[in-house]
Amino acid sequence: MNVAKDTPPDHRAESRTSVRPINIRGRFLTAVALKIDGGLPDDDFYAALDDMLRQRPHFLVDAPLILDLDGADSLTRSTEMKDLVANLKARKFNAFGVQNASDMQLAAAEEAGLIAVPPGRDAPLRDDRPERRRSAGTTEKQPTAVTRTVTVPIRSGQTVVAEHGDLVVIGPVASGAELIARGNIHIYGTLRGRAMAGCHGDTEARIFCQNMDAELLAVAGLYRTSENLGQEIRKRSVQVFLQDERLCVETLG
Amino acid sequence: MTSNLTQKPKVQGKIIVITSGKGGVGKTTSAAAISAGLAQRGHKTVVIDFDVGLRNLDMIMGCERRVVFDFINVIQGDARLKQALIKDKRLENLFILPTSQTRDKDALTKEGVEKVLNELRDEFEYIVCDSPAGIERGAQMAMYFADEAVVVTNPEVSSVRDSDRVLGLLSSKTARAERPGAEPIKAQVLLTRYDVQRIARGEMMTVDDVLEILAVPLLGIVPESPAVLRASNEGVPVTMDEPSAASAAYMDAVARLTGEEVEMRLASDKRPGLFQRLFGRTG
Repeated sequence: MNVAKDTPPDHRAESRTSVRPINIRGRFLTAVALKIDGGLPDDDFYAALDDMLRQRPHFLVDAPLILDLDGADSLTRSTEMKDLVANLKARKFNAFGVQNASDMQLAAAEEAGLIAVPPGRDAPLRDDRPERRRSAGTTEKQPTAVTRTVTVPIRSGQTVVAEHGDLVVIGPVASGAELIARGNIHIYGTLRGRAMAGCHGDTEARIFCQNMDAELLAVAGLYRTSENLGQEIRKRSVQVFLQDERLCVETLG
Repeated sequence: MTSNLTQKPKVQGKIIVITSGKGGVGKTTSAAAISAGLAQRGHKTVVIDFDVGLRNLDMIMGCERRVVFDFINVIQGDARLKQALIKDKRLENLFILPTSQTRDKDALTKEGVEKVLNELRDEFEYIVCDSPAGIERGAQMAMYFADEAVVVTNPEVSSVRDSDRVLGLLSSKTARAERPGAEPIKAQVLLTRYDVQRIARGEMMTVDDVLEILAVPLLGIVPESPAVLRASNEGVPVTMDEPSAASAAYMDAVARLTGEEVEMRLASDKRPGLFQRLFGRTG
């Protein structure tokens, strides 16, 4: 999720959306495989199925269903295949594919409107995916740090964000104003508003402030408000950092 | 510039917005006093009421019975500017452009306001815009085309915070802020309802406290004075009324607005020493 948010907008993709492209997305779903053993599905087979449904009426209802033909060598004709699908449909099973089918069975299944689902593919896929995701992540998560410097007073109601690095403010920050940075925050002036460093979870980020009178201080999501900051650090030069998952405020000099 | 000179030989007027964020701090009183003060000093001045739906300026200027057409009529093309402008009976150089009492702020369009202001710029030296309270459409339209801003503030925390918010909007949501390379709006603080005794008792903020937070120059300090309410009720701008501490303070502020250097003083007899210290800040 984070990776997607951080990625800078792709302008080519944006221009493509303006002509309304066909939207194709990968989709994983859980299907149920029904093993058809022995000969053609007969009354006994359906009776057993009905019996099972009576015991657990909501079990697998409307579930996407795959017919596993591993042990059903005699089921080779499309009419039989269609019968089976219709009978299952009557019991609210939606068969859409076959697996472990022979060539002859495949042809019949195709005629019956079923698709071939390759069995046992999920194992290699699972090995493959996280690695691809990781490599994609490392290339995207290395934007060069960009410092943002502000030399005018930050007024009440304003928010200044340094999305990709440190934030340096030279001037006062009014109560009701907000400073947010991915990295450190430096304030050369009085901080009366809020400062949030390490907004993407960087626990090494710090806040340095020449004159501390803040409403709220936060590093990597851990915060303290003016109520529990203590009087002894008010109007002093301080630094704010995380130590053992605690937010520490320390006077400087 | 040269094309400007050939087309418009006259000096372009300066647009000054009187704003504050918070209500009841004395915007309209100040707009009336400042525009009257400018006219008294010989500058051709117009004061515009942007508080659509809560028409007040015309009452303080004492011309509420003379309103026929208003600002909104002009914006919507129902009347010409000349028809809506009311000439003050006491001062030759002073004009009032009242607003509508029956419409709301949505009637203010950016294009309409710009057109009226451009027309006024050719005629007047100073165009004073009386902003409504708040930071919504009316206030934004009043400040959008301004060259200078007077931020009216009372020495108490909520007023100071709202003024700070407005200063932020002045530096981000105005024509000068949006035009690249343009000089930012020159904003100054006018402290009103300044009560020396209450400040001495620690009940209100001091000038230093306010200026430290707002970090903009001080235009003037208007003391709390019974003369202000009396003048409002009589429909006379404070600066045109009989001499008072408040009128003297407004006249000083007007002088500073026109570029004069005037020592910061409180026109009452109370502790002038406190304000002399501030003089260095205002330059």
